[in-house]
Amino acid sequence: MKIDKGAEGGYNRRFFCGMDSDMKQNLDKHKLSNGMMLLGEPMEAVESVAFSFMLPAGAACLPAGCCGAANVISDWIFRGAGERDNRQLGDALDGLGLQRSGGVDSAHISVGAALEASNLSSAIDLYGDIILRAKLDDEQFAPARQLAIEGVKGLDDDPRHKVMLKLREQFYPEPLGRSTAGEIADLEALTPETTKKIIAENFNPAGTIFSVAGKYDFDAVVRQMEKLFGSSVAGRTKSLKTGASGGRYKHIPNDGAQVHIGLMTPTVILQDKNYYNARVAVAVLSGGMGARLFTEVREKRGLCYAVGAQYHAMKKAAGITCYAGTTPDKAQQTFDVIVAEFNRLAEGISEEELQRAKVGLKSSLIMQSESSSSRAGSIAGDYYMLGRVRALDEIKAEINKTSVDSVLTFLRKNRFKDFTVVTIGPKEIKVG
Amino acid sequence: MEFKIHKLKNGLMVIGEVNKNAKSSAVGFFVKTGSRDEDLRINGVSHFLEHMVFKGTERLSPFAVNEAFDKTGAQYNAFTSEEGTVFYAAVLPEYLAEITRLWIEMMRPALRTEDFNIEKQVIKEEIAMYKDQPSFDVMDRCRAIYFAGHPCGHSVLGTEESIDAMTAEQMRGYFSQRYAPNNMVAAFAGNFEWERIRDMVEAGCGDWKNQDVKRKIVDTRGARDKQRLDKANLTREHICLMSPAISAQDERRFAASLLSVIVGDDVGSRFFWELVDKAIVETASFDFAPMDGTGAYCTYVRCSGENMAKTMKIVASIFADLTKAGVTEDELAKARNKVLSAFVIKNEIPMGRLVDLGFNWTYLGQYRQVEDDVKAVKAVTVAEINALLKEYPLGEFAQFSLGPAQNA
Repeated sequence: MKIDKGAEGGYNRRFFCGMDSDMKQNLDKHKLSNGMMLLGEPMEAVESVAFSFMLPAGAACLPAGCCGAANVISDWIFRGAGERDNRQLGDALDGLGLQRSGGVDSAHISVGAALEASNLSSAIDLYGDIILRAKLDDEQFAPARQLAIEGVKGLDDDPRHKVMLKLREQFYPEPLGRSTAGEIADLEALTPETTKKIIAENFNPAGTIFSVAGKYDFDAVVRQMEKLFGSSVAGRTKSLKTGASGGRYKHIPNDGAQVHIGLMTPTVILQDKNYYNARVAVAVLSGGMGARLFTEVREKRGLCYAVGAQYHAMKKAAGITCYAGTTPDKAQQTFDVIVAEFNRLAEGISEEELQRAKVGLKSSLIMQSESSSSRAGSIAGDYYMLGRVRALDEIKAEINKTSVDSVLTFLRKNRFKDFTVVTIGPKEIKVG
Repeated sequence: MEFKIHKLKNGLMVIGEVNKNAKSSAVGFFVKTGSRDEDLRINGVSHFLEHMVFKGTERLSPFAVNEAFDKTGAQYNAFTSEEGTVFYAAVLPEYLAEITRLWIEMMRPALRTEDFNIEKQVIKEEIAMYKDQPSFDVMDRCRAIYFAGHPCGHSVLGTEESIDAMTAEQMRGYFSQRYAPNNMVAAFAGNFEWERIRDMVEAGCGDWKNQDVKRKIVDTRGARDKQRLDKANLTREHICLMSPAISAQDERRFAASLLSVIVGDDVGSRFFWELVDKAIVETASFDFAPMDGTGAYCTYVRCSGENMAKTMKIVASIFADLTKAGVTEDELAKARNKVLSAFVIKNEIPMGRLVDLGFNWTYLGQYRQVEDDVKAVKAVTVAEINALLKEYPLGEFAQFSLGPAQNA
């Protein structure tokens, strides 16, 4: 067995990056010679482990006319792999007690699981088969594709979810915002051959990130990953050309009980020096029940049950998304109050609001660090977005550095404008 | 892990499981009151009251409450079911005392009429929101026909009419009856100092007056009704089935949970292999819903109109086969692994632990360690599950379906 020294130097390097006892944290890191990145974060006092493969085959990576293929792929690869047929593979995964996780986003197909630590090695073996040696039988293609189609059709009965998918589609430049669920016409035209070609071109170890968090032995993980994936050859890393965004306002008629309103406005990406100012600003707007949107829209006016804004980022574009659901007669007022609150942020923030926002962001960071799944996802996400993993301490220090002045300066230089709006419901609104 | 317990003179139970290795702490007030305890004229009051608790006290305005939580970075909320109302928060250990003090104060809310009137609008929006979620709507409707006349069939949200007609005075009356200390449990999990928290609860809640609180407990095997509602804006068939099962107090509840994983887990179950894997339906689930003194199994399926008849036929044959032939050793082994790993992962986080701690006390009056439940899951046999299937055949269900205009 060959153990490669990764380009970033030394296998099984563990970085100690904690200054304060609350945030004690180690990071394991190793790169295979074909470019596949292995990351790990050991956690004390847990018996579980979570792992994830981020494969560079998300919705935006697909050729034109294949929207939804990533969903078909993430199902099809589980329908038999290595020596096992569909049923045997499912039984083997279940036999390990895996809590499966995964999904499709713009950049990646993610597959992974959380499980009891003693089964990790058997689970990684199975995932090695699924990623490298999926059977991709033609007779299993039809149900995989049909389920993807069912998923798209099911969205019509789930307006709250659908409005946010449509919103990202309108907001991000093509193909970044492409529906992760897919388009029915594209799915119906999809063939096993095209899909196999997409897999061959996109399951590229050079762009794949593997992460593990919880209770594990990193030396053993590296040896196993080297054995399973070391000989797969790196493909060409593709760069995405982006086109235009959708229109400013789209309304989808639906005779439901509420108007589901989604709106989104551009903001800075994760690499930007103002990233933490943007995150604090979003927290002032919608961090907790004491934040402005909840207070103004729900507590004072009783317009909605659900209202909230979130930061949403891709590698090269980011936005603040906001959702509200309300009965038709209140839809216009709800929208107007929300936009007014976005605009009012730059006028001033109190010191108390800032402190609440900062404490909220830091607490959720620490509380997330108790969950192995959440840590495995975070370290892989960081590596993809930044090319490195931020220590929890670094994030905490950066949040601490923000001030009323820094957030307001950022907001005044980057006014919220160019809202993209999507509504689903019985009534349109005026977006001004 | 160390278990702690203290009972106040007025009957309030204070329980805690201390884990000094945890990075967070969780606190919850478990009130044994839900829609099943409501007079139908004020249906929805338990859930509406849960909202009103956040509207503050004589001393705290609604805004002051939200700000007090947010300034500690707490992750907090509440939920109401047919059975109970739970208020909870997960916080960093240094804030637990502050948040506990806040919850204690909030458990004696002002219930101001002006706040009541604004919140009524929010409740009606919540009712509208769930109408747009057919997967939820169909379960609520199925529950009503299954439990026909039994209090567990009461809607948690209530109806627009019952909410419109409700007065703040009626809510205050309900509150004083149901939020009595002898009908509540204060639970704590994670990293905290027991003595300090216990004394705080004693000092803050010691003068609450106990009440003569009752709940009507009647077991039922439900009705076998079948109903359907056409909704023009829907595109898929949403089907819910409910059939009788054992109660939350029944020793066989671990067997029933394992059965539900065998029948309807999202992967690897009978529903999965027979319905989802073959793409006959988009999704199919089967859950065991244990309640106080009664219980039910609940199926949810979403599919196209053209596959509805085929789907129902397959579901019926799965149920019939289970009653006749039972589950296999192999199925049980897999389900056991899945249940145990999910259980271990959930209990690694204080908030996950709090829920089990509080409910075990509410339903069983019992402290159960993680290891006790692990042992109980491991002890379940095929024979036990198969006996349960004979006693509670899955085929005896009530059915509600929601969808576009009915196919022939």
